[in-house]
Amino acid sequence: MTKLFEPSLPKLMEALASEAQGLKGMDRRNFLKGGIAAVAGLASVQIIPKANAEPNLPPNIPEWQTYLGRGVVAKPYGEPSEFEDLQRRTVPWLTADAQSSISMTPLQDLEGIITPSGLVFERYHGGIPNVNPDQHRLIIHGLVDRPLVLSMDDLRRFPSVSEIRFIECPANGGMEWRGAQMEAVQFTHGMLSCCEWTGVKLSSLLAEVGVKPEGKWILAEGADAAGMSRSIPIEKALDDALIVWGQNGEALRPEQGYPVRLLLPGWEGNTSVKWLRRLEVGDQPWHHREETSKYTDLMPDGRARRFTWVQECNSVITSPCPEKPLRHRGFLEIQGFAWSGKGKIKAVDVSFDGGVNWQRAELKGLVLDKALTRFSLQTQWNGEPWLLQSRAIDETGYVQPTLRQLRDQRGGWSIYHKNSIHTWNVTEKGEVYNVQIS
Amino acid sequence: MFRSPKCGAFTAALLMSISPVLIAGPLGIGAPATAEMIAGWDIDIRPDGQGLPPGAGSVADGEGLYEAQCASCHGLFGEGAGRWPVLAGGEGTLDTAHPEKTVGSYWPYASTLWDYIHRAMPYPAPQSLTDDEVYAITAYVLYLNDIVDDDFVLNQETFQEVKMPNEPNFYIDDRPDVVNTRCMANCADPALFEIVTTINGVTPTAHFKEDSGVAANHYGNESSGAESVKVALSDAAVAGESVHAKACNVCHGAGIAGAPVTGDAGAWTDRIAQGMSTLNKHAIEGYVGKNGVMPAKGGNMALSDDEVANAVAFMVESSQ
Repeated sequence: MTKLFEPSLPKLMEALASEAQGLKGMDRRNFLKGGIAAVAGLASVQIIPKANAEPNLPPNIPEWQTYLGRGVVAKPYGEPSEFEDLQRRTVPWLTADAQSSISMTPLQDLEGIITPSGLVFERYHGGIPNVNPDQHRLIIHGLVDRPLVLSMDDLRRFPSVSEIRFIECPANGGMEWRGAQMEAVQFTHGMLSCCEWTGVKLSSLLAEVGVKPEGKWILAEGADAAGMSRSIPIEKALDDALIVWGQNGEALRPEQGYPVRLLLPGWEGNTSVKWLRRLEVGDQPWHHREETSKYTDLMPDGRARRFTWVQECNSVITSPCPEKPLRHRGFLEIQGFAWSGKGKIKAVDVSFDGGVNWQRAELKGLVLDKALTRFSLQTQWNGEPWLLQSRAIDETGYVQPTLRQLRDQRGGWSIYHKNSIHTWNVTEKGEVYNVQIS
Repeated sequence: MFRSPKCGAFTAALLMSISPVLIAGPLGIGAPATAEMIAGWDIDIRPDGQGLPPGAGSVADGEGLYEAQCASCHGLFGEGAGRWPVLAGGEGTLDTAHPEKTVGSYWPYASTLWDYIHRAMPYPAPQSLTDDEVYAITAYVLYLNDIVDDDFVLNQETFQEVKMPNEPNFYIDDRPDVVNTRCMANCADPALFEIVTTINGVTPTAHFKEDSGVAANHYGNESSGAESVKVALSDAAVAGESVHAKACNVCHGAGIAGAPVTGDAGAWTDRIAQGMSTLNKHAIEGYVGKNGVMPAKGGNMALSDDEVANAVAFMVESSQ
């Protein structure tokens, strides 16, 4: 039998006495009895110091098993264990204040493809409005036969659908355009979440109001302090656009547009206007602030792309990542997310050498249209340094580009739509750093 | 609202009898949106001028309004304070390594300026400006960008004369612009690799790296905001806390435009010495000091004098 640890007897007794200080009655007696038994067996049996230092580990009976736990509805709305540290986080220097700002989803802590509602990344242009749903209305007007005002009660009468779709801010990764900057996957890729959304097809609402033939564009407008507004082409509105009030099985969170928002699957997140109060049908786009001054893409020649709606195919490895370094040699399952605003993920490849050679990863679990998709590659790590990358291919055949390819086209001064292959530098110690290969 | 949620669309339509169309949609859900309801919410302006209301404002009118309502964040000349948006300048920078995207250098349409000022500005008090004020401030921001002359008056007609210099430089998304191939072996030459690492200290990593010394909250280690101040507050100050959060914290939370930071006793000592009546007067009527500009009521004219005074009490009591 391997001896993992042999503490000196005086030190062990000291530790036992110290641990026993906080215990009373039976606890203390049992603890000391167990400890003394352990000391007595020191010479002959395996001593695992954690069994003494951590009285909840085998062979000890864990403390929480020795009395009754909390009863039902002690917390009518449940929350994560106190031992979990799940948090949206922001980069303090990124924006002038917290009302017009962004926070990121902790991708490194997520399981599966659904982002819990409380961890969905936040992006506000004027803070979260505190909307009373009974006093909220959606007006649909403009080039329509029957302008309508709809209450939440009205909206819920329409035939409903539920779809799992990602939402991504087009600035996701934007801090990395000029060079590697963020030493955390939460900050390089966390403006990304995926939920089950429940609502009505926008096409159903448009059928109800009757769009006139000259109606080609729709202005979507929020009830927030920014009056967030975007121009949406009628083709997208009639394709897969949803008006949603449900998120992961309950009402939308205020952060995600309570009580109702637009959802444009696969398109840049800000087009999915939150706290939706108005849809106006028109014959041309409005060219509002968030589709001219912002969310346009400046090219190296000084010209700019507008209406860059689609979030192109992207992927990132979340295990390992800077927040989750390698701690064990031997078997390792590499995991990550892939997604595409143009449809389903077809394949994901992983490279250990910075993109020289690639291996095909497996897609895990549900592979859905415009949804986060899990990939996995089982391998061994024995202390060799890696330049670890993932490369996703979507069902249109689009292959996630290299950073060099993107920069060749768009220069280094862009802000949005950076979907290039990402590189983690895994060191001999298993630490993981964000690097760029240029 | 005008109807009970249980009231059917048909009844509501009859009662209103304003909409010319009484024929319901395929499912018969919802009520007709009346012209009056739409008029109250339909605030959007298009590049062709559709949506612009009657009214007018001159560059000269705009100057005073801009200095009172906008300069605290955007700077007296549109140069921007702190991290708030720069509004003027930047011509000739768009194809350089440090492009400066301002109204004059980048924005393609003047309608966007009117629309955005009206819907979202001043930042702490959106939709509080009159149409004439929006015309005037829009004219002044155009003037700051040398797009109109100092005697310009903006209205529905003169709007049509305004041409933004960068308009021709926008084009419709032409992605996909890169074509990668799914190469599986010997796809790159490692000898040519140049590995670029991150800049130390810019990432908030306190949540997973020990001794990183970087806070993960929004204001980092510099926060001296009201949240950290724990003193016994008067009733007025307690009432003023929510006003402060909505209207004052934008500048007084981070020290924008020379604003004394709430909770920073050093910055407040001399001001408090002037007496509450002077501080209230400055806060309610506005004040231009050597360090910066205090817009009247922080730019939020919807606040009552009492609400402003309560907010002042909160700031003073939190900063002693």
